[in-house]
Amino acid sequence: MIKIVEVLEDGFLCVLLIAMLSLACLQIVLRQFFSGGFLWAEPLLRYLVLWGGFFGAVVATRKGKHIAIDVASYLLPDTVKYWLKLLIDIFSITVAAVLSWAAINFVRNEALLGGQDLLTIPSWCWTLIFPIAFSLIFLHCVIALVQDVLKLAGSPHYHRNSGG
Amino acid sequence: MAIVQLSTLILALLGCPLFIVISALALLSFFSVGIDISVVIIEMSRLADTPLLLSLPLFIFAGTMLSESGAPQRILRLSNVLLGWMPGGLAVVSLAVCAVFTAFTGASGVTIFALGGLLFPALIKDRYSENFSLGLITSSGSLGLLFPPSLPLILYGVISETRIDHLFLAGILPGILMLVLLVLYSMKKGPDEKFRKKNYGRQDMYSVLKKSAWELPLPFIVLGGIYGGFLVVGEAAAVTAFYVLIVETCIYRDISFRQLPKIMVQSMMLFGGILVVLAASMASTNFLVDREIPMKIFDFMGNYISDKYTFLLLLNLFLLVVGSMLDIFSALVLVVPLIVPIATAYDVNLIHLGIIFLTNLQIGYCTPPVGLNLFLASYRFERPVLQLYRATLPFLALLFVTLIIITYFPLLSLYFVQLWG
Repeated sequence: MIKIVEVLEDGFLCVLLIAMLSLACLQIVLRQFFSGGFLWAEPLLRYLVLWGGFFGAVVATRKGKHIAIDVASYLLPDTVKYWLKLLIDIFSITVAAVLSWAAINFVRNEALLGGQDLLTIPSWCWTLIFPIAFSLIFLHCVIALVQDVLKLAGSPHYHRNSGG
Repeated sequence: MAIVQLSTLILALLGCPLFIVISALALLSFFSVGIDISVVIIEMSRLADTPLLLSLPLFIFAGTMLSESGAPQRILRLSNVLLGWMPGGLAVVSLAVCAVFTAFTGASGVTIFALGGLLFPALIKDRYSENFSLGLITSSGSLGLLFPPSLPLILYGVISETRIDHLFLAGILPGILMLVLLVLYSMKKGPDEKFRKKNYGRQDMYSVLKKSAWELPLPFIVLGGIYGGFLVVGEAAAVTAFYVLIVETCIYRDISFRQLPKIMVQSMMLFGGILVVLAASMASTNFLVDREIPMKIFDFMGNYISDKYTFLLLLNLFLLVVGSMLDIFSALVLVVPLIVPIATAYDVNLIHLGIIFLTNLQIGYCTPPVGLNLFLASYRFERPVLQLYRATLPFLALLFVTLIIITYFPLLSLYFVQLWG
């Protein structure tokens, strides 16, 4: 199950990057050689960047590759580090949950107010990335917590499938 | 409330992801003054209004491909032939290669890992002392930050809303100054022997040029595209990424199509990590700016500091500390929005400020006790961190000299901008 989510996330991320790259290049070609271009390309690119970035953050959460100040890991003994990791996991879960909730509210407001449509898709759909990304981050934080608890309990079933 | 915020900050020091910490601070701040917390997301969504952001993922993608390919070896071989004849040849080669490589890959540990592993044994073999070699590699790990198209330069432009093409121009002379000082030092410290002349004939010259022929045009594509007026920065990034993709997969075939998804995920992950910190700090720093905190700091400082040069001196000290604690992207994202209003009040040119910022953060990377490069190098070369502290000291001293020159001679940064900007 988790494996499928991983493949889907990674695949989607690649699609976003390829779309970004192709669209940006296409725009250049159209402008240089046909002095034209699509009006919707510019705003679409910005949304692609946003979607790509936040999905990248989801994957970074899964792999434990977020930017963090990494002094403690050089200074603290291992046992303290494990408990500290649990504390950080719980804190991250809480913050991610609050962020998801705030994001859902935000999208609801967007839907009520209504911004400019892009490619006939209403603007609130484009902002769906916020609740999606934050709830996935929440999910991965929960998984990380479960794995860390298992690790601390020394369970023989412990294995980590994302390597980080 | 203050206690909650304080303990959140302590969590940051203990290794909690920064974007979680900063988001938490933003949520708490807005909550404490009774504003609906979905404002935090509104602030984050303003990122979609930044057209320049596009250049970040694309340059990161290009940089990751370059570091995964055989490009480091090719650049190294090329500069060996071109520069190896100089006194302190290999050291000079190392500096030049690291600078070019960092400019294209952004100042993460990539340079130390990708090039350090090649350079360190070579330096030792050429009878450079171990400490000299370690110090050289550690401090060149972030050399080249000031050269286009380095990611931190772009990020500074995005955050401070200054023109990125101007920033690119501004970084060139300070970057060269830094290189020249380090090169002179390396020539002096080179092995004592009558340096073994490595004579490369025309044959070698021709062969290495031919091998690197496809990668050599890269700087010209970026700079030529932007300053020739063909491309804006985001488009230059797209062309660079596309070009590198074709060259590394179809021409050199260093990267197979099977490896490509992994590289894509890796680059987007790096970009995502930067973007969420940026998003979170948009919210938290906007809170502070709304409360006019920077102006209050300015008023307070105004009681003690009246001229811009004392301010810059303090700023340097502050940034060095920040630079040794935070990685460069989060440091930029967190500090720039708060400093920019203060610096403007002190009449500091924002382009010049950017160069000062990056120089400081670069030095911070190798400043004891917690500069990131020191730990990376210690890990990579399996030497105690204390030895690295000692080994980097002379290089740090030189970088400090550059910092002072850059800070107090704004013209060094602004000359090209005035000339061509």
